[in-house]
Amino acid sequence: MTKKRKRQEDFQKVKLKVGKKKPKLENVTDTNFKTKAIQIPEQLKEDGMLPVQNRKLNIKDLLSQMHHYSAGVKQSALVGLKDLLSQYPFIIDAHLSNIISEVAAVFTDKDSGVRGAAVCLLQFLASKLRAEQIAPYFPLVSAHLSSAMTHISEGIQEDSLKVLDILLEEYPVLLTDRSSILLKNFVELISHQQLSKRLKNRQKISWMLSVNPNRRVTSQQWRLNVLVRLRKFLRALVDGVSELEDEEGLQEQKEGSLSLKNPVCTNWKEHASNQQPIQLYENGGSQPKINSSFRLRSLVSMTDRMEKGLSSAENVKGFIEIIIPLLIECWIEASPAQLGAPVLGNLLEPESQQLMQQVLNIIHLLWKLTKQHDEMHKMEVWLRVNYLVDFKQHFMRHFPYSFQETVKHKKKDSYKRYEQNVSNNIDHLLLNLILCDIMVSLSSASTLHMDSDWLDRIRNFVTDTLQDGSKLNSKQLNRLLGVTWRLMQIQRNKVAAETLIKAVFTLYQQKNLLFPVRTLLLKFFSRVYQKEELSPQGVRNRSKILSRWLAGLPLQLVLLGSKNPELSNQLIDTIHSAASHSKKELLQSLQAIVSRIYDPLDGTLVLLPAESQQRLVQLVYFLPCLPTSLLSSLSRCCIMGRMSSELAATLIGILHMRSSFAGWKCQVQEGSLNDIDYFSFFFSTLTGFSREELMSLQSIRGKPHISQTQLSPVRLYLTDLDQFLHHWSVTEVVCHSLSTIPSRSQCFDILQSGICKYLVGMAVIPDSTAGSILCAINKLLDQACILSENLHKFLASCCYSLLYFLLTLDKEDAEHIQKRDVLWGSCISMLALLPRVLRLMLQSLQVSRVCREELPVIAQLLRLLIQHGQLRSHMVTNELLVQQIIKDMMTLKTGEVQEQWLTDLHYCFNIYLASHPQGPGPMNTVY
Amino acid sequence: KRGVVVSRSNGARGENGGAALRSGAGELEQCGVGTLSPPTMCDQLQQKIICPGLVSCLTASPNGLYILAGIAESIYLWEVSSGNLLAILNRHYQDLTCLCFTDDSSHFLSGAKDCLALVWNLYSVLQVESTQIPDPRHVWSRHTLPITDLCCGFGGPLARAATASLDQTVKLWEISSGELLLSVLFDVGITAVTLDPAEYHLFCGGMDGSVFQVELCAWPVQRDRNFQTERENGKTFKGHRNQVTCLSVSTDGSLLLSGSHDETVRLWEIQSKQCLRTVTHKGPVTNAFIVLAPANMLHPDSKPNVPLPKFSKHLHGTESSDAQGGEGVTLRLGLHQQGSGESYLERAERLYSQMCSTREKNLMGDQEQLKIQVTDLEEEVRTLRKINKNLFEFSARFLTKSAK
Repeated sequence: MTKKRKRQEDFQKVKLKVGKKKPKLENVTDTNFKTKAIQIPEQLKEDGMLPVQNRKLNIKDLLSQMHHYSAGVKQSALVGLKDLLSQYPFIIDAHLSNIISEVAAVFTDKDSGVRGAAVCLLQFLASKLRAEQIAPYFPLVSAHLSSAMTHISEGIQEDSLKVLDILLEEYPVLLTDRSSILLKNFVELISHQQLSKRLKNRQKISWMLSVNPNRRVTSQQWRLNVLVRLRKFLRALVDGVSELEDEEGLQEQKEGSLSLKNPVCTNWKEHASNQQPIQLYENGGSQPKINSSFRLRSLVSMTDRMEKGLSSAENVKGFIEIIIPLLIECWIEASPAQLGAPVLGNLLEPESQQLMQQVLNIIHLLWKLTKQHDEMHKMEVWLRVNYLVDFKQHFMRHFPYSFQETVKHKKKDSYKRYEQNVSNNIDHLLLNLILCDIMVSLSSASTLHMDSDWLDRIRNFVTDTLQDGSKLNSKQLNRLLGVTWRLMQIQRNKVAAETLIKAVFTLYQQKNLLFPVRTLLLKFFSRVYQKEELSPQGVRNRSKILSRWLAGLPLQLVLLGSKNPELSNQLIDTIHSAASHSKKELLQSLQAIVSRIYDPLDGTLVLLPAESQQRLVQLVYFLPCLPTSLLSSLSRCCIMGRMSSELAATLIGILHMRSSFAGWKCQVQEGSLNDIDYFSFFFSTLTGFSREELMSLQSIRGKPHISQTQLSPVRLYLTDLDQFLHHWSVTEVVCHSLSTIPSRSQCFDILQSGICKYLVGMAVIPDSTAGSILCAINKLLDQACILSENLHKFLASCCYSLLYFLLTLDKEDAEHIQKRDVLWGSCISMLALLPRVLRLMLQSLQVSRVCREELPVIAQLLRLLIQHGQLRSHMVTNELLVQQIIKDMMTLKTGEVQEQWLTDLHYCFNIYLASHPQGPGPMNTVY
Repeated sequence: KRGVVVSRSNGARGENGGAALRSGAGELEQCGVGTLSPPTMCDQLQQKIICPGLVSCLTASPNGLYILAGIAESIYLWEVSSGNLLAILNRHYQDLTCLCFTDDSSHFLSGAKDCLALVWNLYSVLQVESTQIPDPRHVWSRHTLPITDLCCGFGGPLARAATASLDQTVKLWEISSGELLLSVLFDVGITAVTLDPAEYHLFCGGMDGSVFQVELCAWPVQRDRNFQTERENGKTFKGHRNQVTCLSVSTDGSLLLSGSHDETVRLWEIQSKQCLRTVTHKGPVTNAFIVLAPANMLHPDSKPNVPLPKFSKHLHGTESSDAQGGEGVTLRLGLHQQGSGESYLERAERLYSQMCSTREKNLMGDQEQLKIQVTDLEEEVRTLRKINKNLFEFSARFLTKSAK
């Protein structure tokens, strides 16, 4: 019983009733809280853990997934790899070798998606990696690439071209190192070997174009794709060997002749202490010659260049032998004559055009390659022998491939096609030009008579294109001029050359040409001109058009103004060289227009930058005659500050050489520079201001511009510091030139009469002019010279005005303070040189009530003059005058306090002058 | 007047100035207005040659075999032993200003007012056929104003040469490769230049009379240098008041001789840049240089042991020497063979053959030339025809139109 009760206590039944709430249990979980997700986009980085991408896969996982059998996994691994690497670029460096080997391995993957992803990844990698970084892995990459190119499956072959594109874009140099394999691959892509019994007979292996019906694209399209890559590859090869710029037509040959080679710079000190290895190159050149048979191992490139490639003439020859028949086959299929054939009727017109263009481009590049190898003429002859007939037959048959012709064939096509052709029209020209280029390079002067038929056609085409060539762009023109140049070289015949030049000249004369076009034409002409200069035929064979061109240059220079300094520079170069070769036509036209070139206001000289200015100034030397007007504008140019003072000095030096006073070696043409003009040039340069300017200065009044004193009739106009310094440096050069003229006293007389005529009597004179005149007189004066009274007075008042100005100068006035030394020096030496000027100046110091405020200045001036060593003896002779002045001062000062300046003056006077009464005393009592 | 100036002797080393000195014999050559005349030591004229123009420069090869003169735009080359005028080179466009041989006489340099300096190989100049114009080995066209002076260092064809120009630069070149080694820009035009024997320094005389000393081994190496007088005041010789015309350094490299248009010649010590001696002249000094005294200079009565032949005025090989073969050396073995001259018959035959040869030359002289001329003319005819046809068509059209 008890047991039962007990059990009941333990397990009491809870009675649940409808309508009542269920009591809460003791162990119930309280669930009325809310949750929110915490998102951690990025894990805390822990060392030891490799970074992962979105799918939490790290680099090792991804790389291992590349070996997965499923294409989808591989593709996603590649995409993931790209994500990872773009997030964490540092991984690239650490795992480069793995990444590259894995990526390269899937170039040949069966699945196109995987290959696409691999190409994407490669593109990404290529943008991040420098050529040096990838160089060690490049053999691997290129091995995979060539296995892809030679793969049996078409899809892989097609995608391999994309890989090639990327590599060509980013690492052309590395790729060209392995040219031998790649070139063979190219050939194999579009053709197959003809297997024949003859192969065993050691005959040449012949190749023929292959047609594969399984491809997704037409075989012509496919060929086009391959040829585009081949062209790019060859371009890289050509560029790599000679480092020519893109699409060089005209400049290319020029570069060789004009380029400045940098000589080897050897630092023996470093070599002596073994800090630097010595590199020796043959023939004392600065760079190792690539084509030499003895080659030092290249230190730059890691890969060994022992493989054949196209590095020797023989190999190029071999490759040409293989590829050109193929190209000709391509051409035949694409050429307009074949369009009627049913097989190719469905080809798109632009496509075949492009194909033709690629074919020609490739041939052109191959020609360039052959030219780079030595024994050039041998190669040329070889090419001519082998291919001229073929080329004539296929390429030249329909030669000017024109827009009209294609339209005629495609008339049935829709209007839309027609429009497309219009847009392609420009390519026709380029196509024709490349063809011309190729054909012309096959001919030479010795074979002219054999080739005259097709050369004439080319010539006519070139002439016609040039004559209506207003819409040529610079690239086309460049090629066109290249062809023209070559034609002119081939045909020594004067008449033919003249027609060509004339055609270019008509183009040149058109008005609204673009600057690059104009520059090209100019370059062409100057090159033709240089060649003519060098030719030994002499005067008889001068081209008339060329001399017309030459004579037009100065006018063109003037018209160009400051619009295009670069072009002007080129013009000046040509003019300069022609002038130095004393070409009559040019000199005449230059002489005619010279006043506009050297116009001080808007002439070419003042508009152009400094380097061109220098050339223009040097051109003055070559002018046949220097008329008065030219000299006056030159002098204005000198003093107006548009030229630097060094350049002005150069100009004065050149004029000095041209003058009859230089006596340098043998005389220049008599009478070309008039002596009178020469002197007036110097005088106006010395004055530094034109007469009109001086006149307008006379009316200026007032403190900031004018320094004025009561005791001198000359007021000074204060010039800007820049102008002053410029004027001063020019003055020094002028003074030197004047001082080298043999008859000093006559020269001085001329200067004196100039000063008396133009400057004496002016009320306002610029301070720089006054200083310059003092300086010039100091330089030129000697015993034989006699100064007129007028000049003495003028000089005395100038001196006083200048000295007064210098002594009243504010110490803070930074602008004028720099003038002090030069002006002070020239004043003092003037006074020392001409005692009479000193005397006149002292006499003019008649102190009166009017100038009471000037008294301290006068006193200071006197004190300084007395103290000055050079002047002391002269001051002693003028002692009475000085005494008088001091007395006058005392009388004016009576009744006021003795001031410091007066005591100083008294002291000096007593020390230096009063102690030796009368006459020049000995100098031993100076201190 | 001009005749006087070209040769002023300097007297500083007492000895010789003048335009050129022939080795061995010790004659001076003096050139005046259009004359080229080699006097002996005591100023007696040995020979006087009237030249076609003003002789602006003159030099003799160091081995004494050839003489070069610059007359107007051409260079004249004489052989000293025979007096033949071997070549006239016309490659300059304006008057010559200076000529200079390399020390082994294998090359010579010429500078002119057309801003060009040319390097010639003497032997290729001599070997070239008379119809062709010989080409210089290098053309240096980097100067922009006339070349005023040239100077060639030691080492034959491997030497370096300096050119001075009015464009205020001095340029140093390598003769073997023709490359520009150094260009120094000054404040004034440069009229004279010389190198010291060790080629440590370059001395450049300016138009304003100062002589600048440029260190060639200065550090750091610069291809384009700027020589500013203020900054490098220790490197200037000051004293001349007018343009310096000539400079010469003594063989031990311690003394510098300079002549100037201020009518003085000055001798400087290079180390201290002091003027040791000043010699005044009456007239501008145009040339002065230091030479080792020749052996017989101090004997006033000594005669040159090889008499100078008469220098010919016409180009050798064009006038009458066809029969002699033109090329090759004429050997004369002893005097006794001279007596047996050619007989009249032989002489007649020679004259005949000479006439024939010239006629043949005129007839079929140059087949190539003829061919070119023919094609030229044919081309011209063709163009004329075309023009004529155009003219005809045009006028026909015009006439018919007007008829309507």
